[in-house]
Amino acid sequence: MTTHTVYAQAGIGGMERSFSGEVEKLKLGGGDVFEGEAILAITKALLQAGVAYVGGYPGAPVSHLMDVLAEARQPVLDPMGIVFEQSASEAGAAALLGASIHYPLRGAVTWKSIVGTNVASDALSNLASAGVTGGAVIIIGEDYGEGASIIQERTHAVALKSSIPLLDPRYDMERLVELTEQAFDLSETSRLPVFISLRIRAAHMTGSFRCKDNVEPQFNANRQLPGAKQDYDRIVLPPSTYAQEQDKVEARLPAAQKFIVDNNINEHFPGSIDDIGIVLQGGTYGTVVRALNQLGAADAFGDSPVPLLVLNAIYPLVPEQLVDFIKDKKSVLVVEEGNPNFIETEIRALAQKHKLGCTVHGKGHFPEAGEYISDVVCTGIAEYLQKECSKPAKLAKAVAKNTDSIRAIRDKASKELVNMPPPRPPGFCTGCPERPVFTALELLQREKGKLHVSSDIGCSTFSTLPPFNMGSTVLGYGMSLASGGAVGPPLGQPGVAVMGDGGFWHNGLTTGAINAQWNGHDSMLVVLENGYASATGQQHLPSTGSTPWGRKMKVSIETTLRAIGVRWLERVNSYNVSGTLKTLRRAYDAKDKGLRVVISDKECMLANQRREKRRRADLLAANKPYPVERFGVDEEVCSGDHSCMRLSGCPSLTLRPTHDPLKDGPAAMVDSNCVACGLCGEAAHAAALCPSFYRARATVNAGIVQRTLSRFSRMLTNVMGAS
Amino acid sequence: MTAERPICVLVAALGGQGGGVLMDWFVAAAQLEGFPSQATSTPGVAQRTGATTYYFEVFPQTGLARRPVFSIYPAPGAIDLQVSFEPTEAARALSGGFVGPETTVITASQRIFSTSEKIRPGDGTIALTPILEALSSCAGKLAIIDLDEGVRAARCHPNAVMFGAIAASGVLPFSIETCRKAIKQSGVAVEQNLAGFEAGTRLPSLSIAATQKPPAEFSPPPADLKNEIQSLPEPVRPMAGHAATHLLDYQDKAYAELFLKRLGKVIEVDRQDMDYRLSVSVARRLAAWMGYEDVIRVAQLKTRPGRLASIRRDLAIGDDVPLKVHDFLKPGREELLDLLPAFSGGTKKGVQTGRGGAGLALKLKTSGPFGWATMRALASLRRWRRSTRRYDREHRMIDRWLKPVTDMAADDYQLACELADLAVWARGYGDVRSRGFAELDKLVGDNKHANAEMRPAYADEIRASLAAAYSDTETGLR
Repeated sequence: MTTHTVYAQAGIGGMERSFSGEVEKLKLGGGDVFEGEAILAITKALLQAGVAYVGGYPGAPVSHLMDVLAEARQPVLDPMGIVFEQSASEAGAAALLGASIHYPLRGAVTWKSIVGTNVASDALSNLASAGVTGGAVIIIGEDYGEGASIIQERTHAVALKSSIPLLDPRYDMERLVELTEQAFDLSETSRLPVFISLRIRAAHMTGSFRCKDNVEPQFNANRQLPGAKQDYDRIVLPPSTYAQEQDKVEARLPAAQKFIVDNNINEHFPGSIDDIGIVLQGGTYGTVVRALNQLGAADAFGDSPVPLLVLNAIYPLVPEQLVDFIKDKKSVLVVEEGNPNFIETEIRALAQKHKLGCTVHGKGHFPEAGEYISDVVCTGIAEYLQKECSKPAKLAKAVAKNTDSIRAIRDKASKELVNMPPPRPPGFCTGCPERPVFTALELLQREKGKLHVSSDIGCSTFSTLPPFNMGSTVLGYGMSLASGGAVGPPLGQPGVAVMGDGGFWHNGLTTGAINAQWNGHDSMLVVLENGYASATGQQHLPSTGSTPWGRKMKVSIETTLRAIGVRWLERVNSYNVSGTLKTLRRAYDAKDKGLRVVISDKECMLANQRREKRRRADLLAANKPYPVERFGVDEEVCSGDHSCMRLSGCPSLTLRPTHDPLKDGPAAMVDSNCVACGLCGEAAHAAALCPSFYRARATVNAGIVQRTLSRFSRMLTNVMGAS
Repeated sequence: MTAERPICVLVAALGGQGGGVLMDWFVAAAQLEGFPSQATSTPGVAQRTGATTYYFEVFPQTGLARRPVFSIYPAPGAIDLQVSFEPTEAARALSGGFVGPETTVITASQRIFSTSEKIRPGDGTIALTPILEALSSCAGKLAIIDLDEGVRAARCHPNAVMFGAIAASGVLPFSIETCRKAIKQSGVAVEQNLAGFEAGTRLPSLSIAATQKPPAEFSPPPADLKNEIQSLPEPVRPMAGHAATHLLDYQDKAYAELFLKRLGKVIEVDRQDMDYRLSVSVARRLAAWMGYEDVIRVAQLKTRPGRLASIRRDLAIGDDVPLKVHDFLKPGREELLDLLPAFSGGTKKGVQTGRGGAGLALKLKTSGPFGWATMRALASLRRWRRSTRRYDREHRMIDRWLKPVTDMAADDYQLACELADLAVWARGYGDVRSRGFAELDKLVGDNKHANAEMRPAYADEIRASLAAAYSDTETGLR
């Protein structure tokens, strides 16, 4: 057993990265101008709305909200009595909103959707049914489209089935902040929790708004509530549940609709053409206006002859508002991203119910599924306008001409571009401690034959890509071990599951490990304990060693597993590939030992390097010795077979064009980003690859003793012909 | 109605190249000029690889009563500047429709290879020239810059150099001075970034020709074999000369002569009207094969004069900085036994088997006296090479391979050339080489080629094997 590296101590005192600049922005007062990213603007809006508590689970694109609040806990949140937690999962975050059921406490939680919403849905359904007193707002990062790392579903259906109003705001920073604050009023008025949905690009969007003062919550940790409450009407047991269901439909949703109208949540931009119009989700406003602009039907400020109804609230819709917009038009176009098209369907039903002559266009001009990027929106709108907008003739002509010229650009590109660029998905970083685990698993596979490996969510999912192509299924965060339960026996293999420490704490312990232990599975779990929720930005976990706000606290994965009765558990230093392979082999072969766990406990290299870089800069500045270490490849020795790449995929292990006419292809090379993790040498040994790798270790600013020794050694080797 | 819109900039980078900071500079520059702007990005994950894009819009007017409407998505037909930190990322932008006559494209010239290119045996890299030609044809203006040159000169991150090149292009409505201010304002690594920025403003645009792969460099023929090489048909001379030099270095003059003797037999049956294509190909394959890398050769290469000095240059360290170089060698059990004399009962068949991973794992400190001496000792085994089992096995297989190549030249020239290429399987070390030999054993043994009736099927088999040699990324694994 290797010793457990206590890297996390270095992290004590808070996050590896500093968000102090962002924290300052949260302190801005009335009249100050905020400049920054949208997700941070929303964080500020929460403080301006007087939240009493905030929680959530990190995940792109909303991790930033959690990161910044964690750092703001002591300087900003504590003085205002605001409770902050980094919840163990989205379910925990949703359950946190329970504080708003009885008490006039405003609260907000955040997570990545759809996955986070799925995890949270048990608590969400119960919350929405019981109803809230204080405003309860859920900021969801809608991880949909380009750059998304999850299954492609939208949150709309969840809002519908649980009666949770869903805001999809227009991406203007002032408006975004205003709508975030209004969301709390909407929640309190309708007694329903409210979703605010933010697309990936919108979360990272920069902009500015004029701040208001932060509002200290009426009741908080410093100024306490009069007392605890109990009310059977709020309990989700019959007959309360029946009453709650009726109340949602008869009182709460209508109240939400009235609020939406009274407060102009949705926006009507009238135009000079009166027989057509576009109904759109707020989040698509910028794209729609740009498309109109490109077609010659809007100026840079969004003024267009085509009337627009911008739905910043896409659930619930307000029938009167929609009917009012479409009643005198021959047709409208509905811009609704995702599937199914709930809005379009509802508008079509309204047109029919009210016997209006308006034709409803939508899907068909736009694709049934997928992100509404500019190209898609522009093509759909052009199609609609060319069909439905004949006057003014000048406009119709401009639309036709501009459509052609945009199409010409695309056509020319596809004609000229013969070689498509290679796919370039994200992968393990240079020096990642997870990569060598998969190198070892790959070598194990060579001995045992193809393995069914159950994968999990997190950086480790990248093992499913080249070069490893390992991992047969992904069923959700922390689900890998559970998802292999019925696979092993019919395959005649032990179940093999890989899980990160994030997944372990999120769901893997109960759903995976305890389940396997309880049911007596013949399985092997590899836990990649790199210390952080790395894929989302190295957020701290229970096993990191400290909380995001710097309190010393460690829940050990090993102790936890031993406590549930796991007998076979070993730690490996993943960079020692041969050793890891041996341990994996023994775990695989220990068929009668129930659940076997192998923990790889090397720290995330990104976090390590962030610290290492600072340390090296300090040593350099102080003129102290510091090591420069890197791997290299002897070009002449490299056979050009690239087996080493197929066992690594490290970004810094790359190719160098060869001049030698005898060589078949480029040689391997290690570029200057190498962090000397050692995998190259270890893999060359463990797999008996080519002997072209070397490790070079220099000591800059070496002391006099080391320099003298080195000089002596050089003298000796030089005598023997070295240079 | 005016059709004016903001100036739109799409930046394509790989994670870790500093695209986010570049955006920060854009936003700061816009603020300094008093222009409304908006930046956004799609980096959803923290990993330092993978293609990622950043998008920026700026409306170059001050004192506006209303804010223009910005979009979070780039739109085909509305990209004024497309910046790529890697040339195939510019191609990705082009395939997305983001390069048109209104677009100025600035791209770095250096390839950063993708995993899918790297894991192929042989050359799996995609051709760059057609990509640059497509960009040149579609873009309003194309600038190909040597970003690495700027990075080396200024010792900064590529984003600062790129910012300089962007500023120099004049597409953005920011003065050079404003850009400098934006960098200063950020307060991070200001000196290096400013140096990088200045370097970037001065980078010239390269021609597409300047980005092409370096041509093969043929070494001149060895002095004492000059006449023999000169007597060969003209098209064969450069390759044969290079090969002879290579083998002279590898073993000795007699070895180079053995090569020429074998090559001579192929030349005899080769065709002048085919420009001796077969002979050139055989010369190349045969020389590579005869220069097979055994422990002796590896030790020779690892103790080449100047190797340690070149490692110092790579690390950018001076002569007096203490340096330790460790070499990772793991001759397999078979490879060690291969050093024994051929008569010691070696494998007669050309195929060796054995689980990868078994062998003598050495981590030799070549930079130290002991490691160096060990390596030299291994290299000095060269004089015994001819009597080793390995030599015996390699040369038996070479002869087996050359037979069908020579035999087929008259009947089916194309097939002979393909058979010559089959020598690609004699590659790599340990298991990889064993598998290659197994493939050769299957295809060049037993006079399979002699049966005229079976020949079409044989030719198909050869072609399939060649395709597998270049495409099968699993060859090294299973």
